[in-house]
Amino acid sequence: MTDLTDLVERCKAGDDLAFREVFRNHRADVARLALRMTGRPGDLEDLVQDVFLQVYRSIKDFRGQSRFSTWLYRVTVNVVLMQRRAARSRPILQEASDDSFGADTRELPDEKLARARRVAAFYRLLERLSDKKRAVFVLHELEGLSPSEVAKVVGAPVLTVRTRLFYARRELLELLRDEPALEFVARELREEPSAEPLTEREST
Amino acid sequence: MSVERRPEERALDRLILELREQPAPDLDWQRLETRLMREPRAEAANPARSWFSRLRLPAAGLVAVAAVATVVVARQQAPAPAKLTAQVSRAPLNGDQLALGTRLTAGNHALVVDHPGRARWTLEPHATALVSEGGEFLTVKLESGALSATVVPNPKPETFAVEVGGARVAVHGTAFRVERVAERVQVEVSEGTVAVEPSGTRSAPAFLLRRDSRGNFALDGRTGSVEGNASAVISENGAQSRREVTNVSPSANAHPHAAAPALSAPPASPVPAPRALPLQPSISDIEAGVSSALAVLNRCFREQTRSTGIRVSASTGLTLSVAPDGTIQSVTFAPPLAPAVEDCAVKGLRSLTFTHSVEGVTFTRLLEVER
Repeated sequence: MTDLTDLVERCKAGDDLAFREVFRNHRADVARLALRMTGRPGDLEDLVQDVFLQVYRSIKDFRGQSRFSTWLYRVTVNVVLMQRRAARSRPILQEASDDSFGADTRELPDEKLARARRVAAFYRLLERLSDKKRAVFVLHELEGLSPSEVAKVVGAPVLTVRTRLFYARRELLELLRDEPALEFVARELREEPSAEPLTEREST
Repeated sequence: MSVERRPEERALDRLILELREQPAPDLDWQRLETRLMREPRAEAANPARSWFSRLRLPAAGLVAVAAVATVVVARQQAPAPAKLTAQVSRAPLNGDQLALGTRLTAGNHALVVDHPGRARWTLEPHATALVSEGGEFLTVKLESGALSATVVPNPKPETFAVEVGGARVAVHGTAFRVERVAERVQVEVSEGTVAVEPSGTRSAPAFLLRRDSRGNFALDGRTGSVEGNASAVISENGAQSRREVTNVSPSANAHPHAAAPALSAPPASPVPAPRALPLQPSISDIEAGVSSALAVLNRCFREQTRSTGIRVSASTGLTLSVAPDGTIQSVTFAPPLAPAVEDCAVKGLRSLTFTHSVEGVTFTRLLEVER
């Protein structure tokens, strides 16, 4: 029996120490995925807490038929999507430091500042994708899951995942032209020789 | 394999790389862990936190309907609806902050929307609803699945309504559930009174469902069948019933005031009238009837409610349907009054008569009584 399997079994039995261990081992992954799904650092702590509360409630349903990390991704994605649906029906509170993506940029060197702005702008683009497309895009392009793993997480056929990825990327390319903070990235690239493309993955 | 890409594609790839390289977010893990380890235990110790308790405070402020509200809220607390609370896992949304046109879809858990002091509705798992009217008169369009609602009694009728297709389910009382099943609408009323009518005809309820009754209606709200404690069919203008199929079957364990004559038989077919008869009773006749009705209501309110030394008042919309022969065809109070007051009033109102007319008339007046 692996350590993780043992931990999960102890969690199912109501062992708080085991649950704490699961939290400590996986909290960074959950926080990173939640941030990439939402682009809102301000909501992150509540989201991570909600995810682990959900884990606590439903870990008894984890049968070990998929990897624990896949199941945890699924829980995280579901919690984020629920939170987003709820948030859409509330007044949107613009985060004061939205452009700087939550960081105090006053002391940042130029390059870091520019990077922080690009990241914030890119999150704005992701925000404009539908929930389904954003989820598969983040899981595949940013988290590095294969389409078949993404399919398990979002509960959709692999072909559907591939289709969503295709359209997500196409939409982002179109949106990129309209995002002032990113326009110069495209312009800069137009002027320089072809850069090394991203490593080809299973999907494209 | 290396693929020549357009500049925009390379820009996108670069951005993806930058995002991937972002450091993991650094949160206050210690604080989060402390909160987290406290929350699950608290939740386990108190799994079914009663959200009905939040209705107590707003109800206390409703002096105008104190007599009604107190009774209704107390009834709600006793049989805590496990099927609702068991599935509710998140804090309710503040419905008063929802923008018109907001579409809500519940995931695997019920979604609770609270309009503080007025109503709380629960979208059952996987159901979808759209907020179509806000302000004083809330309206939610149920697009799929089921919705339950608990509404604080209000002197104004129909302050909360659910529309399903072309059918409108408007609340006169407190707790009910609506479900869209294919091309039908199922309505169950556990407290108070609910009117089911075609959308856009708020003034003339086609069906009235009272406590412990249920109905199954067409999506246009014009036809359907009802069963249970009580029901009523009221025609739009007193001359023609909208009802095509109505199956009223009072339940064996009907509430004591189940037989309250708020129910009416379908209006009789118009009878050719002598030329001398007016089309409808005159305004003065109607106003005289309203004065008599108010006197009856005041008497019943004094007789049937306990004196506590505190001034208590109640407001209700009285709808009287008068037959061509001048007799009272149906009496409806929305919101409903305490059963004893309502029974007494209905008995008194039944003795009223109006002048004969060709069509009869149905009218509604807002009445206030106090002791």
